[in-house]
Amino acid sequence: MPRHSWTLVVLGLGTATLGACKKAPPPPPPSEVSTPPQPPPPPPFAVKTIDVGKGITADKHVATPTTTFGVRDTIFVSVLTDGAAPSKTISAKWTFQTGKVVQEQNETIAPTGPAATEFHISKKTPWPAGKYKVEVIVDGSSAGSKDFEIKK
Amino acid sequence: MLDNEPDFSDVEGGSSSTAPKPAGASTYTVVKGDSLSKIAKQIYGDAQQWKQIYEANKDVIKNPDQIYPGQVLRIP
Repeated sequence: MPRHSWTLVVLGLGTATLGACKKAPPPPPPSEVSTPPQPPPPPPFAVKTIDVGKGITADKHVATPTTTFGVRDTIFVSVLTDGAAPSKTISAKWTFQTGKVVQEQNETIAPTGPAATEFHISKKTPWPAGKYKVEVIVDGSSAGSKDFEIKK
Repeated sequence: MLDNEPDFSDVEGGSSSTAPKPAGASTYTVVKGDSLSKIAKQIYGDAQQWKQIYEANKDVIKNPDQIYPGQVLRIP
């Protein structure tokens, strides 16, 4: 083989070797995964509305809020709340005008958003006429109250 | 001395919510006329389950035949 041919072969091998040593190009950055937008976190738990009435709807709302009742009525209080919490205890403390506790009830819930919680009281014999109050308590702290009156 | 306070011993009540209940954290407030078997029947549909409620509330129920209006019982 002529000398210049050897030179070409060596040069060719060198180029081939250099080519083999070349670093592989970095992989393209992973295409951005399109994640669905996260929903905003629910607001903190809070009592929004307290309504008192003579009846409730299927979704636990007071149908017609009122503050005057008859002596044979069942009295409902609906507590509308918003926000999420792993556990909240809502209490309704019903008191007569003298301060005597008529009844106290508790409902423990794990709300995940807007919710309605109802409490109700009735009496086998007629209610004593007078002024009453229902206080709504959440985890031991007052969240509001409603006054109402029972008339003969 | 006369007690002029009206009598509320025959008051009955209840509660419910649209919100889910935390697992194992529900409670029941005893009303007049209740018994553990009556509560068990109401909650579980089986009066024989009263022992479950009794076992979960031994700290507040001394005698399973005696529960009182206003008592708040844990419902397991």
